[in-house]
Amino acid sequence: MSEPLVFMMGEFAAEFPTDRQYARNHMWALDLSGRFRFGFSAYAVRLLQDVYFLDWTISAPAPLKERQEIGSIESKKAESSLYAAISGQLTEFNEKLLADPSAINTDKYGDGWLFEVTPAAAQLPLLTPAEYIEHLDGVWKITQQTIKGQLND
Amino acid sequence: MIPVVVSLGQSNNPVKRELEEAVVTELGKLAAFDVVVIPNLYDLTAKSESMAALQQITGDLLVFSWLYQRSTHWLLDRNGIHGKLGEVLLQSDDEDDEEDSPPTDNDEADEVVRVIDQRPPSDRTIYCLDLRVTDTAADFVAEAKRIASELSDQNLDQWIQGEPSEEQQARYQQPQNDTALGPNGNKPNTVRIEEAAGRRWYPVIDFSRCTNCMECIDFCLFGVYGVDKAETILVEQPDNCRKGCPACSRVCPENAIVFPQHKTPAIAGAPAENAGFKIDLSLLFGQPDAAELAAQERDEQLVMAGRSPVEETPILARRQTEATAAQPDQLDELIDGLDTLDL
Repeated sequence: MSEPLVFMMGEFAAEFPTDRQYARNHMWALDLSGRFRFGFSAYAVRLLQDVYFLDWTISAPAPLKERQEIGSIESKKAESSLYAAISGQLTEFNEKLLADPSAINTDKYGDGWLFEVTPAAAQLPLLTPAEYIEHLDGVWKITQQTIKGQLND
Repeated sequence: MIPVVVSLGQSNNPVKRELEEAVVTELGKLAAFDVVVIPNLYDLTAKSESMAALQQITGDLLVFSWLYQRSTHWLLDRNGIHGKLGEVLLQSDDEDDEEDSPPTDNDEADEVVRVIDQRPPSDRTIYCLDLRVTDTAADFVAEAKRIASELSDQNLDQWIQGEPSEEQQARYQQPQNDTALGPNGNKPNTVRIEEAAGRRWYPVIDFSRCTNCMECIDFCLFGVYGVDKAETILVEQPDNCRKGCPACSRVCPENAIVFPQHKTPAIAGAPAENAGFKIDLSLLFGQPDAAELAAQERDEQLVMAGRSPVEETPILARRQTEATAAQPDQLDELIDGLDTLDL
């Protein structure tokens, strides 16, 4: 595996392993021969910081539509709803995270995985690591504005 | 005598009814206050007896309602009841504010011209209290008394030369003479205005945020918005508004549109969630953005009204991204600053 790609979030160097794909909503997608395993990318984890609570609003197994709302997360600095990155059949959630979501912070690309999905189509709206870095270039400004906008309200 | 308006809720929930009655009764006993009870402020029309009564009030007043402070304030404003936003210290328990932040506060110098800047400033203050903030009537009574004494202190400063004696101050705050108490020595009774008020649904514009950009009037295809003689935006046909639809509030770049009875606090006029400074990352994590959501909701309403949907308006989305892209960007430090935001 080659060196992870790096994107600077201000002074923070966020790393992105090249052995997997990425989604626009800042999740990584690892192809495990047919089924895809998802987790948060370093970009997402940097914004969340310590995860306090993870909650899924559906149970596995379940059909998924891209952008469907599937849960929510609460962390030290943020909260958010969570959405499906691809359409398909959700097969499994990482149960260990429900009791203790800290693996998201300590091992985001490994033990901190979130769920697995068997995709519905061959063409998936996922990005290569290089494409994802380009995407980050584009959204970095909006991210800062989102945060700034909320802090100044 | 400070007028206190209590706007009753729509709900028959006995706990809420009790709270209202307790507040009305307790404040009604105090000489400092003249209590007026009216139906739900949001449902009242401009021609109602209650509105007419409120419009008669020229001085400072307190208004209790089941709405957020900001919503109540601008609801009154659209009915010709103008005033400065009074600072209310009674807040709900989960708003863990470390410091008070009045709703109109802006962290940076506001170079943008808001509609309110172009109006002559008001010389009276309206204190809007949200009855959902606590279950305890005594808390509301205490806050009302605090506001009353603050107001009378201000008035005393203006009226009396030198320092008022304790006795003068007491007499001013709790008048016992005939003029205050009436010929029988009793306080004037609490006024209760009862009239029918059918459920309504319409947007309320917060003119302290509105910049008159006209996005709302461009967006709403039901003719709710119009302009007045001064070319300023206003909610012209409130009853054209599609019940339950909050779409226009999502397209306002300044978050100046409030739907007081919407279930989402941000749309209903809630103050910013200062507690713990949780940032909402949903947009980044895949939620449809405000412009998309607004267009979807508008299309739903169009279809329900028997008209054809517009589908997403790229013009709107482009205008919004242009608007956000034009904002200044010294924001790298902000992300690093997240660590130091120890709130």
